[in-house]
Amino acid sequence: MEHSITRRMLLGSGIAAFLASSARAQPAFRLGLTPVFLDNDAAVIDGLSRALSHGMGREIELVQRRTYQEITGLLLERSVDAAWLCGYPYLQHDDLLGLVAVPVWRGEPRYRSYLIVGTEDGAKNLTDLRGGTHAFSDPDSNSGYLVTATNLLRKGEQVESFFSRSIFTFGHRNVVRAVADGLVQSGSVDGYVWEALAVIEPGLTARTRVISRSEWLGFPPVCARRDNLASEPVQALQTALMSLAETEEGRLALTWLQLDGFRQATPALFDGIADRMRDLDP
Amino acid sequence: MKWFAPIPLSIKLPLLAATMMVLVGTVASHQVLQSLAQVQDARIRELARMHVEGLSVALGPLVLRRDIWEVYDTLDRASQGVGGRRMVLTAVADERGKILAATDPRRVPMDSDIAALADDAVALDNLTVDGASPVLSLLAPLTYQGRIVGQIATELDVADLLSERRKALLFLILGNAIATGLLSVAGFFAIRKMLQPITTLARQMTETKGEPHPIPISDIPRGDGELARLARTYNSMVGAVLAKAEAERRLAERERFVALGRLSSSLAHEINNPLGGLLNATDTIRSYPDRPEVVRKSADLIDRGLRHLRDVTRATLDQNRIDPEARALTPDDFEDIKLLIQPEISRLALDLEWSVEPTSVTECSLSAGPVRQIALNLLLNACSAAGQNGCVRLMALTRNGNLTLQIMNTGAAMPQAALDRLLEDGPLLPGGGVGLRLVRDLITKLGGAISHSHENGVTCVAVSLPISWESADAEE
Repeated sequence: MEHSITRRMLLGSGIAAFLASSARAQPAFRLGLTPVFLDNDAAVIDGLSRALSHGMGREIELVQRRTYQEITGLLLERSVDAAWLCGYPYLQHDDLLGLVAVPVWRGEPRYRSYLIVGTEDGAKNLTDLRGGTHAFSDPDSNSGYLVTATNLLRKGEQVESFFSRSIFTFGHRNVVRAVADGLVQSGSVDGYVWEALAVIEPGLTARTRVISRSEWLGFPPVCARRDNLASEPVQALQTALMSLAETEEGRLALTWLQLDGFRQATPALFDGIADRMRDLDP
Repeated sequence: MKWFAPIPLSIKLPLLAATMMVLVGTVASHQVLQSLAQVQDARIRELARMHVEGLSVALGPLVLRRDIWEVYDTLDRASQGVGGRRMVLTAVADERGKILAATDPRRVPMDSDIAALADDAVALDNLTVDGASPVLSLLAPLTYQGRIVGQIATELDVADLLSERRKALLFLILGNAIATGLLSVAGFFAIRKMLQPITTLARQMTETKGEPHPIPISDIPRGDGELARLARTYNSMVGAVLAKAEAERRLAERERFVALGRLSSSLAHEINNPLGGLLNATDTIRSYPDRPEVVRKSADLIDRGLRHLRDVTRATLDQNRIDPEARALTPDDFEDIKLLIQPEISRLALDLEWSVEPTSVTECSLSAGPVRQIALNLLLNACSAAGQNGCVRLMALTRNGNLTLQIMNTGAAMPQAALDRLLEDGPLLPGGGVGLRLVRDLITKLGGAISHSHENGVTCVAVSLPISWESADAEE
């Protein structure tokens, strides 16, 4: 076979080299991640990183920490440029943080909190869980703490007295594991995570049963500092997120995340969470 | 162990060998199992130590923070590893003994007391696979930065080690049984083959049927081993015995011919004397045929001479009859004996005293042959011992249910060699006659007894023969 270097190939190689060198020239974009989604899956993380890097034309440095508080702190102190937070910490700092984009799941930028128990457990609702052990995801998680805590408050109960013992697993998947393995009787988990696990790890969720679902609440958003929202990198991130569905890598990342895409949203999307926050700290 | 003695050597030795092998196998098996147990104990302790130390490092800070999920997650991930298959359950408690997390939370729930789990638990150094239970319980302190912050209870599944031990035991038993069985059978046949010469020797010695038989050359082991030498020595002994028997037979034959020669000479003398008278009588008849009183007197003389010759011939025939004589003893037999020794008496000018009770002799029902032989031999011997002008005496009478023959003679005492032949059963020394030993053998066969005395220059040999002795037995 004869090989020849055409003019188009030379042009293409030159553009690619320029883009690559310009990507390397700019500082990496630091995006903080919380355990809001399947953060333990390296393939998902890598896929999202590649898709965003390609979309933003720069390197992406994904920063993971164990707790929401740590990531929120990094964002507030500008150690990360943006972060995929939860609606609860966003609202806790909405004076400093602004919305970059919100994931769309099953056609809506909303999700629900699930109350789960082991398959063999006879509990039918939250009241039946009195005196048992309970697993929360994170004290700053809406679906993994705030919803159940406020539901108890609305019933005149306190977490500390209602459950014999409650623990934090710092991961929604860990909550499912803790309940499925019998470490605790029940757990509060992100409904989106539970449903995603039901697809990729059906054996795990099959050992749990959802006994209660919350109202639809605002999906955990991607946030940045308000004073940084208009910056080029954050704008580039917003563009890349909004256009993930338009590229092959983006679609692949969305498939792995089991999301439809990202869209812009207003703070009103999180009014339900704000109501619960008021119940918790009137 | 009395039952063990009658068992043949060819079975006893293989049995002993098999028993020794079983004993050796048992001791060896015990040693192997003991070593295996020690190796397993060391292995399980090392594994448990690594498990506890690894968990202490990983869980120390988590226990200090009471981070239950992380404790559980660490335990859960540890249980997925290689060690997890051995550690069927691990529970971690705080310093108060309250469970923080366990690999099986349903069995060991949070906040339960670790004491309930650690009832039969032992410390790390006391951990041993004792075979009583397929699960071992271990309780160890959780040490972090030099201080005890909690406790670790672990259950170790040692079913595979016990199975390994059972398999080893089974294989040892099977292996030993097969090896012992095979070697015992092989040993049985090998020792049996080795002992074959002994068996043959014993058979040859016990199944002689009259005379010992030598071991065939083909049955003698090759080489110059003990058994080969034993077989060859036995064959040499058999040969010597046979040669001795043959020599005795020849000696007896010679003695018989000697006696026959002696008798022949005396017979010739006995016949020669009357012959002179007979020839004189015939000359007288020829010279005086017309004198009837001379012819009658000569005819009477011829008649007496011929009768004497007839008696001498008959006695000689009777004495030297080849077939054993079954006829009962009569007083005439003693007359025959007297007739037979008469030439010897005359030759030596001996004084013969003859005392035979006819009634005793008739009623004794003894066979004539052996008694005649005994009496004749002893009388000839006595004549010889008495010497010229000596005195010989025979007495035959019944005493205490026995026929007693007393042969006495003057003269020198019997030499020791002659006494040995007459009174003992020991082997015959070369050079001596067998007449006296023949007398002893005949007396023994008749169930009789013999005694000897020599007092005041008189030698007395007394033979006592039981008269109840059946004639049929005496024929044997």
